[in-house]
Parts: sequence; structure tokens; C-alpha cells
Amino acid sequence: MIANIEIALKKELRDAEGLSLVKKAGSYFGITLQDARCIHILTLESDLDAKALERARDEIFTNPVTQVSSLGPLDLEFDWCIWVGFRPGVKDNPGATAMEAIRDHLGKTFEPHEGVYTSKRYCLKGETLVRADVEQLASELLSNSIIQQFRIFSKDGWDKTKGADVKPAKVILDRTPCFQIIGIYSDEALAKISDERNLALNKKDIPVIRDYFLSRAVLDSRKEKGLSKPTDVELEYISQARSDHCNHNTFRGVFRYRDGETGEETVENSLFKTYIQEPTLRLKDKKPWVVSVLWDNAGIGRFDDHNNYVITGETHNSPSNMEAYGGAITGIVGVYRDPMGTGLGSKLFMGSFGFCVGDVNYDGPLKPPLHPRRLLDGVIEGVKDGGNKSGVPTTFGQTLFNAGYMGKSLVFVTALGIMPDQVKGKPSHEKRTNPGDLIIMSGGRVGKDGIHGVTASSESYSENTPAGHVQIGDPYTQKKMHDFLLVCRDEGLIHYLTDNGGGGLSSSIGESARFSNGCVVDLDKVPLKYEGLDMWEIWVSESQERMTIAVKPEHLERFMALSAQHEVESTVIGEYTDSGKLHIQYRGETCAYVDMDLLDKGFPAWEFDAVWLSPETRGMTEPVISSPADFNRLLLHMLSRPNICSKEWIIRQYDHEVQGGSVIKPLTGVKYNIPSDACVTRPVLSSQKGLAFSQTLLPWYSRIDAYHMMTCTIDEAVRRLLAVGGDFGHIGGVDNFCWPNIQFDEKKNPDAKFKAAQLVRACRALKEACEKYEIPLLSGKDSMYVDGHLEGAFGERIKVSALETVQFSATSVIRDVSFCLTLDPKVSGDLVYVLGATANELGASEYYEVFDKTGVNVPRVDFEKFKVVYKALQTATENKLLASCHAVARGGLGIHLAHMAMAGGLGMEVDVSAVPKEVARSGLSHETLLFSESAGRFIVTLAPENKTVFEKLFKGLPASCIGRITDQHDHLKIAGLEKTSIIDLSITELETAFQKTFGDMI
Amino acid sequence: MKKVNALILTGFGLNCDEETAHAFELAGAASHKVHINELVSGKVSLSDFQILALGGGFSWGDDHGAGVIQALKMKNHMGQDLLSFVDEGKLIIGICNGFQALINIGLLPGFDRDYTRRNVSITYNDCGNFRNQWVRLAANPKSPCVFTKGIHLADYPVRHGEGKVIADQTVIDRLLAQNQVVFQYADAKGIPAKGAFPDNPNGSMADIAGICDPTGRIFGLMPHPEAYNHFTNHPDWPRKAEGLKRRGKSLEDEMTVGIRLFKNAVDYIEAAGL
Repeated sequence: MIANIEIALKKELRDAEGLSLVKKAGSYFGITLQDARCIHILTLESDLDAKALERARDEIFTNPVTQVSSLGPLDLEFDWCIWVGFRPGVKDNPGATAMEAIRDHLGKTFEPHEGVYTSKRYCLKGETLVRADVEQLASELLSNSIIQQFRIFSKDGWDKTKGADVKPAKVILDRTPCFQIIGIYSDEALAKISDERNLALNKKDIPVIRDYFLSRAVLDSRKEKGLSKPTDVELEYISQARSDHCNHNTFRGVFRYRDGETGEETVENSLFKTYIQEPTLRLKDKKPWVVSVLWDNAGIGRFDDHNNYVITGETHNSPSNMEAYGGAITGIVGVYRDPMGTGLGSKLFMGSFGFCVGDVNYDGPLKPPLHPRRLLDGVIEGVKDGGNKSGVPTTFGQTLFNAGYMGKSLVFVTALGIMPDQVKGKPSHEKRTNPGDLIIMSGGRVGKDGIHGVTASSESYSENTPAGHVQIGDPYTQKKMHDFLLVCRDEGLIHYLTDNGGGGLSSSIGESARFSNGCVVDLDKVPLKYEGLDMWEIWVSESQERMTIAVKPEHLERFMALSAQHEVESTVIGEYTDSGKLHIQYRGETCAYVDMDLLDKGFPAWEFDAVWLSPETRGMTEPVISSPADFNRLLLHMLSRPNICSKEWIIRQYDHEVQGGSVIKPLTGVKYNIPSDACVTRPVLSSQKGLAFSQTLLPWYSRIDAYHMMTCTIDEAVRRLLAVGGDFGHIGGVDNFCWPNIQFDEKKNPDAKFKAAQLVRACRALKEACEKYEIPLLSGKDSMYVDGHLEGAFGERIKVSALETVQFSATSVIRDVSFCLTLDPKVSGDLVYVLGATANELGASEYYEVFDKTGVNVPRVDFEKFKVVYKALQTATENKLLASCHAVARGGLGIHLAHMAMAGGLGMEVDVSAVPKEVARSGLSHETLLFSESAGRFIVTLAPENKTVFEKLFKGLPASCIGRITDQHDHLKIAGLEKTSIIDLSITELETAFQKTFGDMI
Repeated sequence: MKKVNALILTGFGLNCDEETAHAFELAGAASHKVHINELVSGKVSLSDFQILALGGGFSWGDDHGAGVIQALKMKNHMGQDLLSFVDEGKLIIGICNGFQALINIGLLPGFDRDYTRRNVSITYNDCGNFRNQWVRLAANPKSPCVFTKGIHLADYPVRHGEGKVIADQTVIDRLLAQNQVVFQYADAKGIPAKGAFPDNPNGSMADIAGICDPTGRIFGLMPHPEAYNHFTNHPDWPRKAEGLKRRGKSLEDEMTVGIRLFKNAVDYIEAAGL
């Protein structure tokens, strides 16, 4: 029987969701609504009788103080009504918890064909509303056709007794699962199959695959299991393992790099090996704090004598681009499984975000899948629900706007965990599978989610077609699993664990079975969300919230008891062996039987041509702009620009203090509204030690040279750490590359060779920076193909590529958090110093962006010179000489002096002509002094009594006193060359400018 | 002397158990993190403890109302144990999601010692969004609440999307009249915010941030005292520390007002000899 329960807030209560809809309808589309109320609908398909349904409605789902509800349609007035529900197969988290509640309260066991589904009905009132308006709201604000469906009812078309008549969003596949034998008569035949089945096999891999399956020895051994030609399960396995996502073919590829000017050619055999692996391994030998790198789900560094920290960073770009909320929540919840699955498992203690999107006010002709404004709303909310509900603080994050990200937006998510360095007397970072260990899958169930591309069945959406590749993360299920696995770890029940992410079981079992050298998997044991999945689908499905664990048979009982206590589903689905074979069965029948070392069998490296043209060769020059006459107005304008202004509204939506270890928060200052350089957390509450974390994005510099983009990005991340008290001797890094496609195609990708050269240069810079600053890369990921083909005004499609982007994350361990610093000046009379030299480096700066210019003088990092300053700064911090410290970043001294003035709430009087200067690139005008983005710089304040000691420490280094803090007024007063006043603005004026752009967002 | 035993609930999406346990330890108690199902199954008995803490988090994902399913589960499986626990004069604290659960169980406000009635609700913030910010709380000196004894002002963070306390005006008036309103959101000077955002971060009626039952032994609040377990938790600490440093002093020696709240509970149990 199908029943609908409708629930709404009592009419006298404020409906926050409805009000938000009214606001967005007005500001996004100019549609005036007088009122909007939201009704939550639960659709129950079950054998519950009328009495039981009434109990569920009354006792579980209705709050007597705030809500009204009904087992039929609620009679709320409207001019138009929009019903929005999920498509079948989309993860319905509240539907699942509703079943848990009914099970607990009414003792009802749900059969496979029964279920609870949630949807919503919006009752809109607006005298001027017409159907077209309502359709726009439904399709562009309230639903996304990839995961949702909607229906619109007019006042006259509404049947008060029938209501929205919601049916269960249930998947019915109605087919018998099977596997297929694939003919591989020729390379062409296999290539055709690869296309048809979306296997994306590389052309050069095809002969290798055929040779394998056609070899005598392989044919003979397969015959024993009743197999001959490869099965679809096997080809899917190879396709997953050879994908760029899993195998990093780009970073392991061969690059022929040619300098366009000199014609000089070099061959890069593997960017990963040369620029990431080798330097990191060398540094690992040098830095005893580096515990485990380059092989596990995340890197591990030492935190204190008994604990290690774990870090990794990911992107979730493509899904977020299509369905922003689902993509982002799946991204953050997904990256959280990496530290959980590192070593024997770590406890998550912080996360961070990075959003790169197009102009939120874009009103041009291009049609991205989601408008940047809607996309940003969605990704903010996705990370909010994913992070907050995971109980992990989101302590840092950045949001960046650039037109290139309309082609594809970027969603970076980073996760950190902490683990005891020993579990039952053994190192926690070591793990392996052994023959005889059971393969257990824990967490969520498997559905058609995240299966590559979408299969033929989804060509047209029917009422019961599952929504293929877009998923919605479920932090609740995962949090239960997180708590459960940590208990198992501490009891010594886990011998290996890894998460099921990209590639699903295919990756997690395929990789873990390499240790024992074989496995037998019974796919029919895998719990499914609904019947009817083919074997290959079960094998490669990326359904979320799942871990694969190796458990000894003698521990099974205890493991399962704990699993039951935590209400986490765990199932034995196979066994690790030492047979040398990956052996997959379904009800006893073999559907895959390949050698474990198949993937090592001579698959060729990908190849790329890279041609570098220097900015000068490309005809880039400095723009011709005379010195502005009104710096006050200019500074206020710059403070209000989207990439500079306050994003407090985003940060406040994220719980950044849960777990109780917050030391330096993402916002600081007297009004807690200025972004901190970095955050500091105490992951071990009984310890005084802290972990500092920073992140930097400077993609604009790639317009000139991705080499300098990379060095400046790393330099800024390091300075951000030092600004809060980080230790220059312990800096760990995580690189997240997001690059446009670099595979050359005369028509489709004519500038690929240049972008490939940019990638090579960025990697070279990465190595140089890491070696000079001694930063081992604890983890890193690459996401290629950040391009989009957007429909334009005349039905044409235009390729829009994102800037070559690297997000660099950096960590440092702080011995004693009482030494930490914030950026706000604290005491009147303190002196203001600038450390590091300012040069004429306005290339690709925020200042040039004001005038739509790029220039060519991109900031450069002089590692040797900067290092001396950084070490002196660390000594100053360790001796508590400083009252505040701030790294100078995007926008230069002008913007960052303003940050400090606002944060301190005190007056600041400085003379920018007194800053240390680099004369090599001469011509330091007022705009250069204020807005040059030269790397290596800090602004610090200190008590006058520390002046002598401080200056002695910085003797011979670029460090100058440029002014003082005062409580005689509350202005930022900046004098320029020849003591002229160039800026005189009150803190209120600065704040108004800094806050106004997104000021009405809460 | 035997330590006071505090039980901190875990499981089903609850997430502040670590720091709540740590806070009780700092306050002198022995902390025990116990999964809700261990109480349900009887593996652990509530009667072995003197303080029960329902901490923050997103129990059951906060679907179907914050704290609603947790309340239902606890009522169904340990309702009688909870009532006995209260009868024995022991202490219960609900923080954030735990406060929402106490309200939905009916342990709060507990008018006329009826601990099963739901007549207060905690709903969506007026600002329409989840919000993490530090708030200043003014404590009611006349409140019987044992947790806030000797505390006049307290700064704690709020971190919630549903923190607005609402009820019929008669219920609110009665809470005020019986001094069951323990904490009110206040301005910088400690004067109740009168609804002004962001001092009152969620639009709570009468600026209510926390209430207790008529005995003062059951206490629920939206802000997180356990998140102020160390002097570096407070957002002003670097400024305060710098000021003290200039006078040759340090911040580190004082007990935070967060830990004070838990210590009051431990002291009460010790004094009561429970």
C-alpha cells in the first residue's frame, strides 16, 4: 500500500526555506513571490495498516509544538504549487532514516519491495505569477533534472483530495543479471566495443589486452574455469585500472618538451617519478617525521611521540559541475574516506574546501550546465552538509572567481586524520592482505551509482530509470562506519582497509589483493540497493560510503558483533588468496579470471608533445597605465572585488570548531571577520601541540607562466603557515593539479602543446620549491580535462578552459600552541614592519585585473633569499617578539595592510616608501608599492621594547619599520614617496567595502 | 575517593563525544563513551553513572527534525531508566543536538516534574542557515541550575542550523518565572540581546540559549561549553595573551568557563555523595 504523509510548519511560524525561495526568486530571476511555504512529503510503500500509519505520522514525524501534518494533502493555499522529488535510485538520505525510525518505533521490518521516499511541495503565492515563472523556479532553482523530477500544479488544476499523488521513486530493473563474453577478433573490434561500452580504452592498450587474452597459457588456464574470450567484467576491470583517474597516465606519460625559441628539446619520461616521487623520497630520508608517502590512500607525518597525522586532497569537479550539491557532498564525504582508509585507519579531525567558479553575476550568452551562482550555492551547501554531518571541522577554505571556471568549476576537498602510531604494538601505517584473510565490504549498499558514463538504458529517462553517475553522499551512514572502524582498529581486528571510491570494488579489491597475490570474490554476496545489476556493474559501481577490509577468520565474530552494534552493514564477499589470480564468481560461476600482474604487462605510456613559448614570445608586455589619482577609491574598489572581499557567509556555515581543538580559526580580528592566514587545530586534546594548515591558489599567474604560478603558490602556502607560528623545519605539502586537456588535436585542442608545456614547467617548479623549502609531498592528485564546451547565442558550442590551476596545501606541527599568532595588531604604540622585498611585480595581479590587463612581470620566488628571512621570522616567533604576523598575498601590501587595520580595529600609520625594495625590476611607483604581489613578504607588528632585539635578528635582511599602530584614531593612513598621503580611510569605510559584495548573504 | 562517572553517548551521527569526554576528565570525572545501542541492549547500565551527557552532533542526520529520532529511540528503549536516573537525583546535560533530544523526549522543561511532555521546540535559525559563531551568554543568578553555579557570563561557540527555541508564550513566561531560563544570548556587555542578530544568533524567543528543569539537575543548551576546554579555543585569546604578556602574566593558568560548567556538575555529585 502506498501512503503519503504531508508535514508543514504551523502557519504562524516562519518558514526559513520558503523565505529563502522568495528571496532567491526575486534576486536571481526578478520573480516576485508574496509568500512560499514548504511541505515535506513522506511516501511509504509498506504493509503498515491505517493505525500504524497514523502512529508513524503522529509519534515520529510530527513535532507537536511546531508542525501540522496529514495522511492526505495538507490544505495550504497557493496560486501555484511545485512538487519536487528524486528520480529513482538517487540516494534519499531522509528516506533511509525514516525507515530506521519506523523500524525502531513500530517494530516494522521492511521487505525489499517496501520503502520510504521523501519529496517536497512548495506552495507559492504571487498575484503576477505565470506558469513560465513557476517552471523557471522549478527547473533552475528547486530541482536538477539529473537527480530530480518536478510537477507543477495551478490553483485550478489542484485536486484537494488527490494532492500531488506521489508514487515511490523506486528502481525496477526487472532483468536477470548476467555477464557477457566479448569478441576480440581484431584491434578494431575491441576498439569498437570500447566505444560502445564507454570503456575508454586507450588505443595503444588494445593490442596489449588482446595479446594477453589470446596467449596460449592464458587460454589454457582460463579453460579450467570455463572461460575463453574475455568477459565484460574483465574488460571493465582493465578499463578502470588503466583510466587516467586510477593510473595517472598523464603524470606517468612521456612528454617531448620543446622550447619554442631555442628549439631545444628534452624528454620527460614521467613527471610523477621525476618531480614528485624522487624528491619526496629523498626528503623522506632527510626528515624523520615523514612516516609514509606515495603508496597509501593518504600520506602520513609524525605529530607527536604517540600519534601520526594523515592528509590527502581531492577534487570533485565533473559531478559538481552537473549537480553542484550532490557533487560537492559526495566530494567531501568521499575524501574523508581516504584518511579513514589510510594505514589501519585514522580518525578525521579537519577538512577544507576550495571552490573555483565563474562570475556569479554572469549574464552573457554562454550556457553552462549550471549558472555559476546556482553552482556556488549548491557546492557551498554540499560541503556544509557533508562536513558538518561528518562531525569534522571545516577549518579553512577559499572561493575564487574566474571566467575560465565556467567551462568547468573546481571543487577541492582536503581531509586530515590522526592515528596512534601503534596498534596492538604494531606500526599503524603498515598493512597488508594475507592469503586466508576474509574480504569484507562495510557501509552502504551497491546500486547503479557512479557507473562510468551512463548505460544504454538511460538514453531516455523513464519513471523507473536510475540516475546514473551523479550521487549524493551520505555522511550519516559514513559517520557510523567511521566510529565502528576505529573501534575495530583499536581492538586489532583490521589487517588491511581501503575505501571504495573511483572504480569501486574493482579498484579496492584489485589493489589490496596485490599484497596477498590473489583473491576469490563472490559478487552475489554483495548487498545491493535493488536487484537486477549485472556482475560488471556490481564490480565497478562507485556507490558511496563503502570500505573494503581484510579480517582474519578468527576475528570475524567480534567484527560482526561490533558492526551490528554500530548498525553498519558488513558482509563477507570473498577471500584473499596467493593464487596469482583475480578470480570473480557469481553463484559459483566464474565471470573473471585474470592474472594479478596483468596490469604490469607492458601497457605503453601515454605520449604528449609540449611546446613552450615564453610570455615575451607570445607578445606579452606590461600595460600602459598612468598612476591613479585617487588611491582611496581604488583601494575600496579592490577590497570589494569578488576575489578579495569577505566570504564570511560561507565560512560561518561550516562548523569549524567541532572536536574542540580550535586554536586559530578561519576568521579572526576584533570582529572575527577577517580571513586568517592559516588555521591551527589541536587534534590531540591532551597535548599542547597543534597542527597548522594552509592552502593557496594563484591560478592567475598561469596566464604568464605556470612555473611561477607554482613557485608563488607554494611560497604563499609556506608563508601562511609561518604567519601563524608554523615550523619551517616541518612542512608537508599536498599538490592538487587541475589542468585543461593537453592531448593535442588540430581541431579540438589546438593549444594543447602549450598547455602541456605549462604542466611540465609547473612540475619542474614543484620540485624546485619542494627541494629548496624541504617540503615532502605527503599526497597529491591530478584532475585533467577542466574544459567545457558551452552553448552560445547562436547554437554554436564554444570551448572554455579553466586556468592551469594548482591548489597547494601545507601542514606544519607547532610544538606549543601558545606561541601561535594572528594577523590583528593588538596594542597601540606597536611598530609595523614589512619583511621581504617589494619589486615591480604587478604581472597578473589583482591590480591589473581591475583594468582587465595581464602584463608580464609575474612575481618570482628567490628561495635562497627568502629562506633566510623565514628562519629569522621563526626565531622571532619562538622568542615571542611579535604581536601579529600576516603573509602578504593577493592584492599586495595595500589589501593586506587593510586586512590588518580591520582586524585590529586600531589606527595604522605607515609609509610604504619605507618598505624593503628589490631594485632589479626598477620603477616602484605608488601602485607598485601598494599592489605588487611580490612573494616572500610579511607584515608584522611588535612592541617597541622588542625593537632592538628584532632588528638585530633581521640585520642585513630585507626588513624595515614602516610605521606604527595607534589608538588616537581609527584610520589606515598610508604615506607614499616624499611623505605624500596616498591613503586615508577609516576602518568603517574599509569594512563597508570589504563586506558589501556578499554582505546580504548570511 | 572514587571518581564521578560521566556517561557520554555516542553513535548514530553524534559527534562531540571526544571533547565532551575530555571536558569531564578535566573537570575531575571519569568519562565513559557509550554507544546508544550498548544502553539499549543492556550491555551497559545507566545506573552505574552519575552524570549523563547527550552531546552535539547530527543524530540520524537530523532528518525529520533535530534530535527527534534520538529522542524516540531513547524514550522507547530506556525511558524508564532515564526517569529513575532523574529520580535518584543525578544529572543530565544535553548540548546542541543533545538539548534538542532532551526537549523531544520531554525531560525539558519538565514542568510539574512531568518528564514526558513536549511543549518546547527548537527550530530553524531565523537567518535561514547553519551558523558557527561565538556568543556571549548571561547566566541567570536565580536559576536552580547546578551546572552554572557561580557563572555570570560565559562565552561559548554556537554551531547549529536549528537553534531557535520556541514555545507558546505561556510556556516561555513560565520558564522565565520559574527561573528555568539558565542562559540568555547577550551583547558584549552581558545584557540580553533582545533578539538582535548576531548577538542572538538564531532568533530564540526571550534570547533563550539554555534551560533547566525545575530541579536544576537537567540542563540543555545550544552553545558548546566543551568547545571551550582550552584557553586557545576562545577567539580573543591571542589578543588577551599579548595584553597579559606585556604585564608579565599569562593566560594559561585559569580554568576556562567551559570546564567550570562541567566541574560544577562533578562537584555537585561529590557533595551529594551519589
